[in-house]
Parts: sequence; structure tokens; C-alpha cells
Amino acid sequence: MTETDSAARPVTIRAEKISKSYGDFAALTDVSFQVRKGTVAAFLGVNGAGKSTTMRILTGYLAPTVGRVEVLGLDPTDHVARIELARKLGYLPESGPLYRDMTPAESLQFFVDLRRLDDAAKRIDRVVERCAIGSVLHKPIHKLSKGYRQRVGMAQALLHDPEVLILDEPTSGLDPLQIRDVRALIRELGKDKTILLSTHILQEVDAVADTVVMVHDGRIVFTGTKDELAGSRGIEARFYELTGTKGAAKEVA
Amino acid sequence: MFGIDFNVVSAIVRKDLRQYLGNPTGYVFLTLFIATTAAAAFMQEGFFARNLADLAELNKLMPAILMFFVPAVTMGAWADERRGGTDEILLTSPVRDGEVVLGKYLGVLGMFTVSLGFSVAHVAVLAYLGDPDPGLMVSTYLGYWMMGALFCAVGLVASMFTTNATVAFILGALGCAGLVFAGSEPWAAGMLGTAILGLLFALGWFVVRSGDIAGAAFAGGLGAVVGLAFWLPSLLPWLHEEGGDNRFVDAFESLAVDAHFASFGEGIVRLGDVIYFAGGASVLLYLCAFLLGRRHW
Repeated sequence: MTETDSAARPVTIRAEKISKSYGDFAALTDVSFQVRKGTVAAFLGVNGAGKSTTMRILTGYLAPTVGRVEVLGLDPTDHVARIELARKLGYLPESGPLYRDMTPAESLQFFVDLRRLDDAAKRIDRVVERCAIGSVLHKPIHKLSKGYRQRVGMAQALLHDPEVLILDEPTSGLDPLQIRDVRALIRELGKDKTILLSTHILQEVDAVADTVVMVHDGRIVFTGTKDELAGSRGIEARFYELTGTKGAAKEVA
Repeated sequence: MFGIDFNVVSAIVRKDLRQYLGNPTGYVFLTLFIATTAAAAFMQEGFFARNLADLAELNKLMPAILMFFVPAVTMGAWADERRGGTDEILLTSPVRDGEVVLGKYLGVLGMFTVSLGFSVAHVAVLAYLGDPDPGLMVSTYLGYWMMGALFCAVGLVASMFTTNATVAFILGALGCAGLVFAGSEPWAAGMLGTAILGLLFALGWFVVRSGDIAGAAFAGGLGAVVGLAFWLPSLLPWLHEEGGDNRFVDAFESLAVDAHFASFGEGIVRLGDVIYFAGGASVLLYLCAFLLGRRHW
């Protein structure tokens, strides 16, 4: 996607000067960014930078202390708009939490019922095929590998064919083969959906993202395309420069 | 109806009931409940000495049994969701907080109702031994159910305060104990009043200061100290001449379940008692919805 193409698209996710505090601790300070329709944006930052807090605010799970958020033109802090937004948004929280005593089939059926979706069987068949979980559909989730659990979480997020996907560290804890599969799925989904995924893995940015929003210590330190982030020195060097973690280069990469 | 979609509520109830009854722990609870209530009803001298086919002996102990049994059912209702992170998926689905609270409540109430349903076997034992009054049996079981419904709401509130199911159980049992012993023990009525006052102070601060957790904890502590000051000296005769007679304690004695359950055990269903149990559960469920909304503060 060229820069001109991207700039012409309408804004799907917009955060305006959002801050989130827990008592005296500021998890986010003055965070502003936007993600345009049909792009895959990486929300990049080290652990504890404020990525998950931002994701939770965008999905309406948390409200910002100050500032304004809009996803698909809807304000997730408004009770009525949040319900409307939840119908159009798929969310995979960090670590892909699921009901461990259920099987993937039972779990997906529960979310179909919860979302009052029609054509349950067709929808479930479609996400089962797309996320390749057919072989484990009737095994208890607590017996599945982390990779399969993550795929079940992704299937849950895709059940209602959302316009926007928010994925919190979707490849965290997966082995290289599983990471390759999840990234391929994200690239496939990115063809017709707006995706915001958080990550602390630089290769992930290179592999799947069109644009990058970088957060550090609860503040935005970069927004732009991945080429702009890389500049003449490369993504890795710029990452350490922006986070002030030059000494930890190899560990994070 | 009232902005509640019962399809959503039903989905949550079915999911939770499946979790309770889909593993051996649920059946251990069921068996323990039936065994304990059977022992309380029949393995007592009074039952045979009175020579009456009723559940009077069980009625004396049922509040204490439910005080432990119900929090054991409710302890994981919220605590497990939050510990496992599944609350994040649940609460970012197109569902209202009220629907989630009602679904969770009906789930634990359903599990309690199933357990109570199995204990109807006690009535069959009574019918074998004598001639129990059907009306008395119906009102007695209605009383058990309503008391359990109130305790389910207490346990659900307790489960919202922590991610640890054991802590949720202890908090729930303490809350139920306050309601069980308030009628007979002045200290229990005093503690119940103190807890309610502390909670009101904390929630008041939360609302006024929009989510100031540290301030709310301080306000809750202050409320508890005020509550203690109202009644504690009256229990210490060397500090107060009127030892034991205290309006604060009297006010909270009336919240004890005993007084409201007694009429059910005598075959009388009083509107005031029904309102006490249903109203108490409703207030606590409202509190649950309020606490669920704290993630937005």
C-alpha cells in the first residue's frame, strides 16, 4: 500500500489526547493516533509501555481518564454506542483468554449465542476452517497447545465477521511455526479489515504492518509508515533510539 | 424488557451451569449439600423426640449450612472470570452489564436450585415416616430457596472484590454470617452494620471522586470506625452502663435472616418476608452492576 493510498482512506480508529491514570500512576499520557480503513497498524512498544491499556480503552473495556476515542465513528465510552461497536469489532485480548473447561466447539457456540448471531453453523464452520482448528474442535481447551488456544481466540474474534480487529500481542508465546501461521492469517484478514495489533516484536512489524504507532512509557513516540520508522538506519536502530534502550538491542529483537 | 435481552442472559446461565455441572466438583457440592441437610434434618434427637413429620430441626441449621454452601458455589463466579481474563471478552461483547450480572446470578441460583431440588428427597423420607403437611413443606422449601437466593447475591458481590476464589469464599461466608447471626448475637449485628456503613462510605467516595481507589479505601475504613464507635462500647459493660442495649445494633438486628425465615418454616408466607429476601437480593445485584461499572471509572 502506498502512502498516498493510505492517506485517502477514512479514519477507522481515532484516539485524541487520551490519558489513563490509576491513582498517582499514569499508564497513558496524552496519547493521540489514528488508523485508516483497510490498514494493518502495529502498536509497538516494550512490555508495560501502555499497549494493553490502549487496546482496552479502544474496545470499551476501560474508559480513559481524559481524552476521546472513536472507532468506526462510535464512542466506546458511551453505553449505547459501545454495544453497537461491539457488533462490528473483534477483539483478541492478551494471552487469548478462553473458558478452559469448554471445547472450542462449545466456546464458539457460546459466543454465537451471546452475540445473537444467525446462521450459527455456517459461521462456526467458516472460522473453524479459516483458523484451522477443525482437528481440535471437541478437545477441552485446557488440553490444547498455546498455538491452538490462540487460534481459538482468533476464531472467537472473527465469528461475527467484524470490520475492525484489535489483537493484543497475537503471537506472544507461540513457537516459530505457530507465529508464521498467525502472521499469515493476519495478512489474509488485513485484505478486507482494519487491524490494530499490539506487539513488542520488531519482525512482526516488518512482516504484517502497513503503519506503526509506537508507544513508550505511556506516551506516543512515533506514528507513520514502517518505512518512515526505518528511515536510513533500520527499524531496530530506530526502536532503540526512540525507547532509549540501546543496550538491550539483542534481547528485544 | 427493562433493556434486558433474555437470550443473552440465557446464554450466560447455560454456560455457567455447564461449568458447574460439567465437572466432578459440582457433584461433590451436590452430594455434600444433600448429606449435610439430611444429617441436620434427621440425625438429631429432637426430630424423633417431637414425633412430628416436619423439617423443624433442619430449619434451625439451614441458615448456617447455606452460609457455607452458597459462597462455595458463588466464589468463582466473578473471581474466575477475572483471574482467567475471560471477563474481558465477555464485557467487550455486545452485552449490557445488567445482562451479565443477571446471567451470572441466575447461573449460581440455578446451581443452588438444582441442589435444593435434590434435597426434596428429605420430604419423601418424612412421607415414609409419617404424614407431612404439603403446604408446610412447600412454604419451608420456598423459604430455603429465598434465603439461598439472597445468599447467592451476597456471594456474587463478594466474588467481585477479588480474583482469588478462596478469598471470595471467605468474604461471602462472612457476609452471610453477618445476616445469619445478626438476630442472636449483638456483635454480629454490629459487625453487619459496620460493614454496610463502611461499604456505603467507600461507594459514596468512589462516586463523588470518580474512581479514587485509595480515597475510597480510606473512606471505607472511616465508615467502619464510625460504625464500630456506634456499637462496640455498648458491648463492654465496664465502658458503658447500658451494656448490650444499643440502637445501632437493634437497627441491624432486623436484617437477620432468622426472623424473616421463621414464618416460612411455620407454613406462613408473609409479603414482608418475601420483600425482605427479594429486595435484599435486588439491592445486592444492583451493587454488582455498579461494581462491574467500576472498570469505567
